[in-house]
Amino acid sequence: MGLLNYRLVSIIARKELRGLTQEKTIILAILLQLFIAMFSSFLMVGLSAMYDPSMYGRVTGVQYGVGFVGNDTILFDLFTRNPAFIPYQMDAGSALGALKERKLAAVVWTSETLPDAEDPVAVTLYTISNDIQSTVIEVKIKDILLEYEEILRDVRKDRLDSKPIPVTPSRPVVQNSFYEFIYGLLIPMLLFMPAIISAGLVIDLITEEYQEQTLDTLRTTPASLEDIVCGKILACIAIIPLQAALWLVLLTVNGIQIASLIEILLHVVFASAALILIAATIAVYYRDRTKAQFIFSTAIIIVLLLILAFPSNPINLIVLLAVGGAPPFHWAVMAASVAGCLILIVLVRNMIRKVEFS
Amino acid sequence: MEALSQLLTIAIWEIKRLQGTMTRDLLPIAIALLILLVGVSGFTAQQGIHLQDGMYRIGVDSPLYLDIIGGDPRYVTYALPSDVTDIRALGLDLAIRTGSLLRTNGDKGSAAQKSFERDYQAYQDSVYRQQTDLFAAYPLWIDSEYIVSELDFLATQEGQQLSAPRQASATPPEPEEPEINIIPPSGIALENMEAFRIQLEQEALKGADQLGRYTDILSQQEALGELRIPSMLSPPLPFDTIIFIFVFIFPLYFTSQFFMMSIMNERTLRQGEALIASPVSPLILVLGKMLPYAGGMLLIVTAILFTVKADITAILPLIPVILFFLSFALFIGMIARSYKELSFISIFFSTIATSYLFFPSIFANVHIVSLLSPVTLVVHVIDGTGYTLTDYVYSTALFYLTSIILFGVCIKNFHEEQLFTEMGLLDALALYLGALVSTRYWYLSLILISAMTIPFVFMAQMMYLVLFFNLPMPYSLILIMMLAALTEEIVKAAGFVALITHRFPPLSWKVVVSASLLIGFGFLLGEKLLLFVTISQIADSIFGAALFLSLSLLWIPFLLHAGTVFCTGAIIKIWGIKALPFGVILATVVHSMYNLYLLRGWVF
Repeated sequence: MGLLNYRLVSIIARKELRGLTQEKTIILAILLQLFIAMFSSFLMVGLSAMYDPSMYGRVTGVQYGVGFVGNDTILFDLFTRNPAFIPYQMDAGSALGALKERKLAAVVWTSETLPDAEDPVAVTLYTISNDIQSTVIEVKIKDILLEYEEILRDVRKDRLDSKPIPVTPSRPVVQNSFYEFIYGLLIPMLLFMPAIISAGLVIDLITEEYQEQTLDTLRTTPASLEDIVCGKILACIAIIPLQAALWLVLLTVNGIQIASLIEILLHVVFASAALILIAATIAVYYRDRTKAQFIFSTAIIIVLLLILAFPSNPINLIVLLAVGGAPPFHWAVMAASVAGCLILIVLVRNMIRKVEFS
Repeated sequence: MEALSQLLTIAIWEIKRLQGTMTRDLLPIAIALLILLVGVSGFTAQQGIHLQDGMYRIGVDSPLYLDIIGGDPRYVTYALPSDVTDIRALGLDLAIRTGSLLRTNGDKGSAAQKSFERDYQAYQDSVYRQQTDLFAAYPLWIDSEYIVSELDFLATQEGQQLSAPRQASATPPEPEEPEINIIPPSGIALENMEAFRIQLEQEALKGADQLGRYTDILSQQEALGELRIPSMLSPPLPFDTIIFIFVFIFPLYFTSQFFMMSIMNERTLRQGEALIASPVSPLILVLGKMLPYAGGMLLIVTAILFTVKADITAILPLIPVILFFLSFALFIGMIARSYKELSFISIFFSTIATSYLFFPSIFANVHIVSLLSPVTLVVHVIDGTGYTLTDYVYSTALFYLTSIILFGVCIKNFHEEQLFTEMGLLDALALYLGALVSTRYWYLSLILISAMTIPFVFMAQMMYLVLFFNLPMPYSLILIMMLAALTEEIVKAAGFVALITHRFPPLSWKVVVSASLLIGFGFLLGEKLLLFVTISQIADSIFGAALFLSLSLLWIPFLLHAGTVFCTGAIIKIWGIKALPFGVILATVVHSMYNLYLLRGWVF
């Protein structure tokens, strides 16, 4: 058991990479990541758009009819002043009937409570169930009701024990830019997806040699078990920066500026390498795909949860690097990742030696 | 009777084999890891997730404002010098100076302000909640009532989710039938004040506690009444459904993985050869091997439902989902050449399946599209609404059909020649299709093959619908239409692929023409049949029109389907099977042009 034979290791790594391109699995992997990215963006952007009608230019300018039951003049005035609504003073029967026939968008039924009464003012809002339009109307009516709440609160302000410290924005934010979603969630997720995929891959590559009994043939070559496993690990690590860089380029092309690209790539590579080494250790120990994948998927959740529980973890630092405000000690965290990798390398080699002579 | 005992024998073997994998080196570690997982989740829940820590920098001119920012780790706080004018020069995103909030230009400044506004709202609410006179701080309470409109489906079917709200007239509308028997809303009694305070506190806690929010969801607690303050009015984001999906789908996915591996293991080193050589029919073999996993999945689901104290009827919508996962596991286990191929195909499949299950269900209680996913029914059962038989058929039919067809195809191919080949994915698929062609009745086989692809086509098209229906109109329409045409042309080409793999009859021009007619006929037949059963509701909407356009008259769609598949067939005939993609593209272009012509009124 001597040192690694680097020539053999690189031959094996290249063989595995060739296999990946031949079976087109790598294309499937990239497609998968693209799909997940699309999925999460649709989820976020699509839903926010749905719940934030101001994002639909065409919806503004449309006037919704609202049936108004009761004598609350303040609320009626608020509806009249809002360009999105035309309130009609109606009796309850015809208002609800018209709503049911979709001749109205909503019905508001006010109580007779006075603004300065002891009791709260109760308003009943009727909308049509199972309908997206109602969701939009509810969001628009919410603004009016908030305004009304402010007015009522002002009337009753003498009854408050204490008031919040006032902070007024100097200019409002009109458009939701999804900045926090993109930088705080999408970017770290995209950058660590290759790592998860590669870790699963290394388990498949190692256990397959055992279960297909091809390892014995391989061992008749000058390559030692250690060379073989290291070659596979190397191949899996090698595709990490390629995919991560692809994501960074795609994001930049889409107009998402990412600061400190090199530092981010380094963080991703070292953190991913650690995951791949953990996976390889488990695979060498079990030599069975089902068992190894099962143990690894449980272990990976534990590791990720644990990492996220600490401030300034590598994933947090990647977020900070991407927005361009990382503290300089991120280099120290990177050094810790590298140290972790080194410890794991020793662990894998010990595990290989243990199984080789057992 | 004999078949039953054979089935049981196979099932018992499979359980014994499975016990063999759960050896001494796996179980203790698995248990230790599970305990560790619980511990770590608790620890992380306590510590909070530190993902976006320190994203924004804020300067304040008084420590008073620290109360507002409080424990939000997204902000790094700096003391603001009194004479500062340019906050960007200090590297800040936000600043509070004498009660006024400044921000830098650009997305980051806006995002920081948005987050701050949310924090401020939470702070304000926490102050108001402490007031002795709660109804002075919260003077307005809203009771939301939902009216069921008989015209519901008409409106959603016309595709008018957001695009076509009614323009209000100057005079109040006259209902044809005024509502009678109305119960006027009851007011709020003063003595309930403390109950309302508790409700507000609970809501605030839910919002603040990241993980607690998720753990609470499954144990449904009904909020006090339906009364809410205006700021709580906004429809909640569908986190609940996300949790449901994870809780139900992940155990199912993992169990189906074991089944997949069991099939794959029969193939590696030809271990399953003895089993296949035995006089047991492939149907019994496959069902017997599947039985323990199907039983296990049912047990898991029942256990979950029991834990969350949900009604047991929620299990019914999950049965087709279980079958769906198992049928795909069988298929993937049968075609994958290597472990890595197995992994990637199965992850890819499960991601798509999960999103198919997930996407529609986020519109639960909002839109009819939500019923496409069986998980919506589970959500309905858990929130107490329940579902009808029509709902059940509507949302599960496609799952049942696709699983049964896939099982059929796999069982038909469950023998040596197909199992032990080392072919690529697409070649294996061609081989499977070829095996379905009968030499004597090849024309019948063609009709059958194209008819049975229909559930898969519908499923794919439903996926496009849920993915793209909130893109702005005409784009969503055009995109859905072109993807639909592409999908239809791809699956129609399956008939030709099957014919070529089967090698009989040889592909003469005569055969190309008659095969095109047969495929067109089979496709139309399947489409018609399935539409009767299930999705007439969606098929009537404008989006449905884009997908199932070709249903108005019978002979036009027949000619269209036959004609476009003839394009594919002709190109294969001239340039060989390698030219198949070009044939499909040509057919798609022709198909889309026809669709565009029909939909021109909507698009332009």
